[in-house]
Amino acid sequence: MWSLTRPDAPPGNPVLVADDRVTGATPDVLAAGVTLGMPRRDAEALAPFATVLARDVGEETRRFESVVGVIEDLIPRVEVVGPGLVFVAVAGAIRFYGGEDVLARKVVDEVAGHVGSGPGREVLVGIADGPFAARWAAAQSSPGEPLIVEDTLSFLRSLDLESLREGVASDSLIATFRWLGVTTLGDLAEFPREALATRFGNEGVLAHRLASGEDRSALPREIPEELAVEMEFEDPLEHIDAVAFAARNISERMLSRLRSNGVAPHQVSILAEPDLGTVRERIWRSADPFTEHALTDRVWWQLRAWVESGGVPGGIVRIRIAPFDLSGEGRQLGVFGDESTRIETERALARAQALLGPDGVLEGRPQGGRMPAERVAWSRWNEPETPADRDPTAPWPGATPKPSPALVPPRLQPIEVEWDGGMPSRVRLGTRWEPVLTWSGPWRLSGRWWAGERDADRYQLVTSAGAMLCVVADGKSYLAGVYD
Amino acid sequence: MGKLEVDLTTPLTEKREGFGYLRLEPGKITELVGDTGSGLTRLGLSLLAEPSKTGPVVVVDTRGWISPEAAWETGVEAESLVIVRCNEQPLWTRVTAALLEGVPAVFAEVPAGINEHELRRLAALARARKTMVAFRSMGSRLPSGVSHLRLRSLGVTWEGADRGHGKLKGRRLVLEASGRGAAGVTRRFEAEDGGRGIFTVVEDEGKDTLRLVSDVVFDPSRRATG
Repeated sequence: MWSLTRPDAPPGNPVLVADDRVTGATPDVLAAGVTLGMPRRDAEALAPFATVLARDVGEETRRFESVVGVIEDLIPRVEVVGPGLVFVAVAGAIRFYGGEDVLARKVVDEVAGHVGSGPGREVLVGIADGPFAARWAAAQSSPGEPLIVEDTLSFLRSLDLESLREGVASDSLIATFRWLGVTTLGDLAEFPREALATRFGNEGVLAHRLASGEDRSALPREIPEELAVEMEFEDPLEHIDAVAFAARNISERMLSRLRSNGVAPHQVSILAEPDLGTVRERIWRSADPFTEHALTDRVWWQLRAWVESGGVPGGIVRIRIAPFDLSGEGRQLGVFGDESTRIETERALARAQALLGPDGVLEGRPQGGRMPAERVAWSRWNEPETPADRDPTAPWPGATPKPSPALVPPRLQPIEVEWDGGMPSRVRLGTRWEPVLTWSGPWRLSGRWWAGERDADRYQLVTSAGAMLCVVADGKSYLAGVYD
Repeated sequence: MGKLEVDLTTPLTEKREGFGYLRLEPGKITELVGDTGSGLTRLGLSLLAEPSKTGPVVVVDTRGWISPEAAWETGVEAESLVIVRCNEQPLWTRVTAALLEGVPAVFAEVPAGINEHELRRLAALARARKTMVAFRSMGSRLPSGVSHLRLRSLGVTWEGADRGHGKLKGRRLVLEASGRGAAGVTRRFEAEDGGRGIFTVVEDEGKDTLRLVSDVVFDPSRRATG
């Protein structure tokens, strides 16, 4: 939970902070049934009285920076996932402080002392083997009461499949697992990994690994020094615009270097040396390999947080970013190019779907039929494809010839056509009549009389405003497509 | 696409040699201007054919009428194409911004009434994300500076239908290219659609006479001129 202190929030009004999903809300909004992580549309429906603010991750990072500093004073090498969530490798710290419970209690006390008490200021701490288990241990802990997991494998096996949703498995994969009767990670771990790899690819393998307790290590691996990128500035960077430019530049350079090595980072260390004072360093982590956009954002958020909080007195004279925890995912070239493109596209489409609803984002597949509207089998994006009702490879005699109209109304639209001796002469388009310059047809369309369908004739009409496909049935004319 | 013969009286610029007008470029917006029926939906879909070979492509459909079958005919990979239907004008900017941020190539109908500053922000986003974009304006033209290349449809000529005989086979679009993508010069050319995709028959009536002729055969007697 992250306390909601937005300067642009209207004082005294209920507020909801969201991008695609809810990331913050005032208590009265939560009381209306809104939960963190809920899709924005659902939250707006439950709390129509709330003022909706777009999420500002940069600002959240700046505010969270002081919390990270408190933890870092206790344990070095804090890895930031995002505002509100950090991972720390605690093996050394446990020995230093004399036990897991002592360490966890110290973290809770120090952070709680820093952020204060009240709604949205709860401190959740979990200790387990691996970041994934630790993240869910923290989520299941009580505020101020750390959850220390003794048997990580058993703990993981008790988790619901929903725990895979955060950056691990897609909604459709989770839905498919549920359909197969899998409800917990324990159920999932029972499956042979080879079978999941065959059926679900990398996504299935990653889910199985996590369910089996084979998480990525929180300890950064050694990497070749030449993969790190550094920029030095004769004139210290003090203005936020100059910092943003540097963040983008250095991120692009590092990822370009990594791409040429065929690897992608899951962690990155960001280091800034101020003109006066001590060097600052922070590690950021991501479940997916960092894309150029994601990395630029994180470098920018971190540098902005340091600059605006006075953490780099005198301005920045050197920036260095170094990749850790490299994987080969950056070079997995599939049908849709590299893995990062696929991930970014899926996220973009998911955002569009969250805004428009599930029927707003669609995929089409060819199917058989005589009319253009029949020849596409539609299905919602990210859901199992609708099986084609009619075989697209069958001959379909009498099908409307190609080229197909680019605009096809979902239902036939009435249209006024004037006939002269059985030949079309004029078409009404809006308020004006357009003369028919030429036409083809009629082509008979025999309906299934036993299903109540009537026979009809099809015409291709060409006017000076373009060509259209027209259907005539029972003396009435209908628009079936526009050759736009 | 068939074999192309090139006959030119002045040197062909490298850009036009690469069919630069009818190809999307990363981070740049191509604007399609013209009335419904002028062939621009199919032209816009055909611009996605090349990007669809290497990544997903998205069409933003504001009317709910765009047919993927026409896109497949122009060479767009069925597996790569996603149609986003957005008929709510207030949501259009947010949906399009989300798509420009993550999808490599987008063809979007722009509903009437979108603010100029929103369009400029989308253009900046496309530049920053290096997204290939084609905008088909359903209202007035886009504000100046938003698009890199503007293609305006001046007319369409259909081939194949003849007073009840034959069937529509192909068409020629008379297009006018302008903007930075046309080197600041307004040029007129014809784009020929033989039913399998767009390929060009270019006839520049300016100083740089240029003609590209495809091997598609037309029967002049079966021609309807719009």
